[in-house]
Amino acid sequence: MTSPQPSIPKAPRGRRLRSRDAIVAVALAALLLVLFEGSSIRLSGEEMQPGFERDVVLAIGKPAGWIADRLPFDEWGDEALAFLEDEEVGGAGGFDGRAPAAGGGRGVPPVPPDSFDPSDLGVQPKKPRPLDTLLVTGDSLSMPLDVEIARRAADGDAEVLRDPHIGTGISKTGLVDWGKLSTQQVREHEPDAVVVFIGANEGFRLPGPRGRQLECCGPEWAAEYAYRVRRMMNTYRQGGEARVYWLTLPAPRDGDRQEIARAVNAAISVAAEPYRAQVRVLDMSELFTPGGDYRDAMTVDGRRQIVREADGVHLNGTGAGIAAEVVLDAVRRDFGG
Amino acid sequence: MVFPSYEFAFFFPVVLALSWALMPRPRLWKPFILAASYVFYSAASPRYCLLLAGITVANQIGAVLVQRAPSARRRTLITAATVAVDLGALGVFKYYGFFADEIGRFLDSIGLGMPLPLLTLALPIGLSFITFQAISYVVDVKRGLIPPASPLDFALYLSFFPHVVAGPIVRAREFIPQLATPRNPKNVAVGAGVVLIVLGLIKKVAIADYLARTVVGPVFGVPEAYDAPDVALAAYAYAAQIYCDFSGYTDIAIGVALLMGFVFPQNFNSPYRATSFRDFWRRWHMTLSRFLRDFLYIPLGGNRRGKLRTALNLMITMTLGGLWHGAAWGFVLWGAMHGACLVVEHQLRGRVSAPGWLRWAIVFNVVVFGWILFRTESLDLATAFISRLAVPGPATLWAPAALAAIVVVIGFQLLPPDPLERFRLRAARLPAPALGLVLAGVVAVVGATVPSQGVPPFIYFQF
Repeated sequence: MTSPQPSIPKAPRGRRLRSRDAIVAVALAALLLVLFEGSSIRLSGEEMQPGFERDVVLAIGKPAGWIADRLPFDEWGDEALAFLEDEEVGGAGGFDGRAPAAGGGRGVPPVPPDSFDPSDLGVQPKKPRPLDTLLVTGDSLSMPLDVEIARRAADGDAEVLRDPHIGTGISKTGLVDWGKLSTQQVREHEPDAVVVFIGANEGFRLPGPRGRQLECCGPEWAAEYAYRVRRMMNTYRQGGEARVYWLTLPAPRDGDRQEIARAVNAAISVAAEPYRAQVRVLDMSELFTPGGDYRDAMTVDGRRQIVREADGVHLNGTGAGIAAEVVLDAVRRDFGG
Repeated sequence: MVFPSYEFAFFFPVVLALSWALMPRPRLWKPFILAASYVFYSAASPRYCLLLAGITVANQIGAVLVQRAPSARRRTLITAATVAVDLGALGVFKYYGFFADEIGRFLDSIGLGMPLPLLTLALPIGLSFITFQAISYVVDVKRGLIPPASPLDFALYLSFFPHVVAGPIVRAREFIPQLATPRNPKNVAVGAGVVLIVLGLIKKVAIADYLARTVVGPVFGVPEAYDAPDVALAAYAYAAQIYCDFSGYTDIAIGVALLMGFVFPQNFNSPYRATSFRDFWRRWHMTLSRFLRDFLYIPLGGNRRGKLRTALNLMITMTLGGLWHGAAWGFVLWGAMHGACLVVEHQLRGRVSAPGWLRWAIVFNVVVFGWILFRTESLDLATAFISRLAVPGPATLWAPAALAAIVVVIGFQLLPPDPLERFRLRAARLPAPALGLVLAGVVAVVGATVPSQGVPPFIYFQF
């Protein structure tokens, strides 16, 4: 054997300081971050999945947010850097301003004619306007579905707009308020058809009546969630002029996530009831996970193929391709072609 | 836990302060840093820690047995068994689904049906880097380059949080000796560390993510919807994006380690100024290149067994290097393409001369072409992308900001290194409070550019 040969890499050239200078530099940066971004830290913590990391971020974010609420630094920071920020999702239609869905005194709502898919009644459906613009949106679930739809539709006349928002959810409004975003998307693009695949980041507490926080995934939470979904569906259908294709969630691998997915799917189904004439709920749960049993692979074109990503949540390219075919079949039924 | 996150912004100052406080007492410092590293790693999933611990135990046992083995033959056998455990873990988690699918497809085509159950296993984050470092340890012990480390030192080497997720691939003989004595608290490259962290954040969030969002993602997703000008722009934009994304991560990792008193090897050295493919691989992901050289190419015989065998060794090394990046044919093709370029270059050495600018232009554009295979992953998408390069049409994505980002990223690498080094040295000379202010300012500015779509993960996390 040869003699041991340690070969420690050379440190970069330049001035050396003491270890306490390293601590001062990093601690000062962290302190300034807390002072200037306190409310963002609190919001970020509130929107994280439950667990140790969330507890840590909230343990700092709550007092930091409290301090930031009382000092002008946060506001100064926001104003100074506003020019760099992504265009704000603003305007009417946000979730936060509404009265709690589960409040009393609502009575029995009427059943509008749009609750029925005309084909279920054997009636000729009203012809939609021509399909010029198809918007594909949602959270990370909508990727690579958006790409698969766009590629399949590349030869057609319709323009496919892809607008996924990673890490967002309908039950969390910090990163993106989907109530506002859906309104903005419709205002900007006036899509003739909208494909929505969202639900990888749900299960967060929702505000209920009298300031109560509704925990996932009981009937009250599902009702509030369904109300938000219904508002989005109503926005996207544009008074009945457009068609909406809302995909349910295939069962995820993880047991806790399965509980959330069940509640989300039930809420989607209930939410669509008044708008069956324009809103198609496309059942990905039964397609990819029959009986709610998770599986990585399924038979496609006569042979078994993997359809899920390794995280046990998302569809992989093959799975997204299958979902895209289902979506485009439904689009063709409505728009022809 | 990822570097550009609030979690890390709170984790690191606490760990840094405690680390320096405990540093003079290694019996306290080492368990503390080991625990901190496992906390960092467990953020992805606590279950992955079991795998990391398992790999640590298996390789430590292997290294000790190798050293105690009475004969060279026994040492080789134990080393091979330990490496097989490492590659087995990598194979199961990273490649099982891919190969089961491909074997099934083949058997199906000859009418034998599907014999293998299809599963997609969650790939533990950083597994490729962890297994390579473990292999380097056992093989270096077998070669007599290092003695087996103490179990604690080895566990710390594998799990040390600045490099556990995406490298750089630090060799055991580079890192473990740094654990032998406490780091000198009066000789810390604070300025260099902060400058690297700042540069890494700017590269990742401000440049890589911007290009991904505005040019790369749209075009690589649906190339059929774009014509030659946009498709070409996307190819160059991806070259800039992947450099900024990966070298940005590496900069932060090296900077964080420097603040803790540890030195990691350099991982990038202006790769787009390379004037040969050999030169490129000496500048791009340098720690992977030297791993492949030392643990694959040279053991295969390197260039010592004639031209044909050298060519074969290059092809095997680069193709497996491509496959290391992921279980997809695009990566394999990308690796094979670089292997072929190295072979051709090797054959032409001394026979053909060309001016430097021409060699640079050829190498750079072939590298960019290779990134198309790398990014598209599937052959049909790569074909679609490449075929659109021949379709004339309007330039719809040529925004000044995107063009400027590409030119800056590539142009900076073509500048002579001295002025850049002088700037870095000058910045590193700032006093600690000023460095803190700069770091906070960059975090705030970079954070403000994060769109509502969020910060995508580092590209190399998936490898």
